Amino acid sequence: MPQTAPNGAQDSRAAAYERNLYQVAQGGRYFTWYGCGSCHGRSAKGPLNLGDRVWVHGGALDQVYGFIAERHPGATAGYAARIPAEQLWQITAYVRNLPRLTPEKRRRQDLDQVGEPQGSNWTGPVR
Amino acid sequence: MTAPLTPEQADRLAVSWRDAPGLWGFLTTVDHKRIAARYILTVVLLMFLAGMLALDMRLQLAWPDMGRMTPQLYNESFSLHGSTMLFLVSVPVMEAMAIWLVPLMLGQRALAFPRLAAFSYWLYLGGVLMLWVPHAVGITPDLGWFEYPPLSGPGYAPGHRADIWAQMITFTEVAALAASVNVVATVLKMRPPGMTLARIPVFVWSQAIAGLMTIFSLPAVMLVTSMLIADRLVSTQFFAPAAGGDPILFQHLFWWFGHPEVYIIFLPAAGFVSMIVETFSRRTLFGHVAVVLSMLGIAALAFGLWVHHMFAVGLPRLGNDFYTAASMAVALPAGLQIFCWIATLWSGRPRFDTPLLWVLGFIATFVIGGLSGVMAASAPLDQQITDTYFIVAHFHYVLIGGAILPLLGAFCYWYPKATGRLMSERLGKLAFWLIVGGFNLGFFPMHLLGLMGMPRRVYTYSEGMGWGPLNLVATLGSAIAVAGGLVFVANAWWSRRHGALAGPDPWGGSTLEWAVPSPPPQHNFDHLPVVDSLTPLWTQKEALQVMTGLAVERREVLVTSVIEATPEYRQKSPKPSIAPLFSALAVTILFIGSIFTPWALVWGAVPLAAALIAWFWPQRERATTGPLAVRR
Repeated sequence: MPQTAPNGAQDSRAAAYERNLYQVAQGGRYFTWYGCGSCHGRSAKGPLNLGDRVWVHGGALDQVYGFIAERHPGATAGYAARIPAEQLWQITAYVRNLPRLTPEKRRRQDLDQVGEPQGSNWTGPVR
Repeated sequence: MTAPLTPEQADRLAVSWRDAPGLWGFLTTVDHKRIAARYILTVVLLMFLAGMLALDMRLQLAWPDMGRMTPQLYNESFSLHGSTMLFLVSVPVMEAMAIWLVPLMLGQRALAFPRLAAFSYWLYLGGVLMLWVPHAVGITPDLGWFEYPPLSGPGYAPGHRADIWAQMITFTEVAALAASVNVVATVLKMRPPGMTLARIPVFVWSQAIAGLMTIFSLPAVMLVTSMLIADRLVSTQFFAPAAGGDPILFQHLFWWFGHPEVYIIFLPAAGFVSMIVETFSRRTLFGHVAVVLSMLGIAALAFGLWVHHMFAVGLPRLGNDFYTAASMAVALPAGLQIFCWIATLWSGRPRFDTPLLWVLGFIATFVIGGLSGVMAASAPLDQQITDTYFIVAHFHYVLIGGAILPLLGAFCYWYPKATGRLMSERLGKLAFWLIVGGFNLGFFPMHLLGLMGMPRRVYTYSEGMGWGPLNLVATLGSAIAVAGGLVFVANAWWSRRHGALAGPDPWGGSTLEWAVPSPPPQHNFDHLPVVDSLTPLWTQKEALQVMTGLAVERREVLVTSVIEATPEYRQKSPKPSIAPLFSALAVTILFIGSIFTPWALVWGAVPLAAALIAWFWPQRERATTGPLAVRR
């Protein structure tokens, strides 16, 4: 289980997350739970849309991870303080997989998970 | 036989029905006995594999806090065990027994649709490979033997594990439908002259009823797994409540099949029991009409109680009440049958050879399973015990007790007919005591574990729960039963070469299959027997009456009327063909492709259409006279 951020675009730990659909799907659930979907949901437009293959802050593994963890404006100085490293790996894998998901598929997965906590209505523990 | 064939006629007949030698014959055969033997050998292999999985799981549960299996491996193990035993073992083996026995019991040379039987096996084999080849490369379904959405839906079951399970079902259900249509048509239209509906042997009745149940229930599960695949592959919303779908629909359709399936497995077993009890009591079955009507009653009721698998779902109260009553009502016809068998044994002169021992083991075990079933059928009690080991104990008692024990008895009973040699009685009795004793030792404690609150599908438990000692006993019992299973298979293997020679009728049976040599020649009967009673071999002691007139120089069978079995016409029976194998391969390509892309349905239809056209290409010469004459 990784405790640290990727050490570059070609980190050897990436395959275990990016090429494993279970890990990608787990990332999707965290994406919802941490409230990412409230801005980056499937109807997001422009730079907020993560499924359009346009990466404003770079689309490489370390760039996506690094932006969420260190520089994302949604949390003071990024999400690294709030989200454990492995979950960040999973969320990164999910986000980088989004362009491969057709709109119907993404909508269908969201439909199944509509009962899951969505950021603001999370009732579990908060770090 | 009144009119033995001349040697030239006998040779001609054997040539007409012979398979090609070697591999080509193996791939093209339409002989019901060879096809059934394939089914049975495949089932034995799968029973061994799935049995080893069970033993593996029992070792994991033998002590508290064991870590030899991860939760994921445990999930995969019970999913594979359940799916294999239900879809690839229990139902197919009963069909295999029908494919093997029904033509022999009806005095026929072939099934109604010989090529369909071959197609059925190849497709079944496709289903077996669909589940076990992915398992070998680590893509094992892991959501249990019924994969409820939304857990199996696109949001929670990424990858192809759920697709593999769903498509394996489609394979086996198409195979089962093919086999059932074949058996039902054979029973209705190909009985020997004189075998009116009232003179059909109970086993043949049981297979015809189970076949009809299959035809009515299996489309539901094929539909529902296809809907699941559609939800996962092309994002339909059948089971997504947020878009107006309903996950409960999956459960209704699944159990509309799932409950009748239990009786599709049990009724043929009741047929085995009836035949064995009759032969070994040396008297006609007590209450033949009552037994047959009970089977029909069970078949009708079986379609009215699927909701007892769903009491915990939260359906309306009245629904639960109705299905509780219907579930308890099944105990009536089932009990009636058991009393008929006991009455037959009681009033006969029973001979306690191995096949009858299995029947006695069945009666004891199945009654326990039936009683726990009546308990579980009660909705308020079920709310407490659902998804506990009580249910695990109950369904193993009814499935192993109600189907596998009679099946083993049937195996011992008909083994000499299939191989020409008797199985060893000593090894047979050893296997009997090991399996029945080990099974009861292994599974009875699970009732108690369930009442103590141990849930199903947990990969381990902590010591403080106090479930350790009973689980250890359960594991010991399972190991003993597995050892008994190995003794049984070893006995069958050894007896094939070294068993005592059986002759045509080692047990003094009453039905037509005992009139032919063991093993039966490929065409089964030289002449079609004529039947005047339920037990033709007992009432026509000197010589069986026969009907002559079927051709020896080509494959011909007799078609008779549905009610009275009066001869109607001679029907050409198809020759061996490679088309069933090619058709099954084309279906396999279509099915496997369609878990990856919906276009497989379109492009896969092309080779399938080609294979079916080759299969059904007309073989009759065009007419030379009359309005349909060939124009020149």
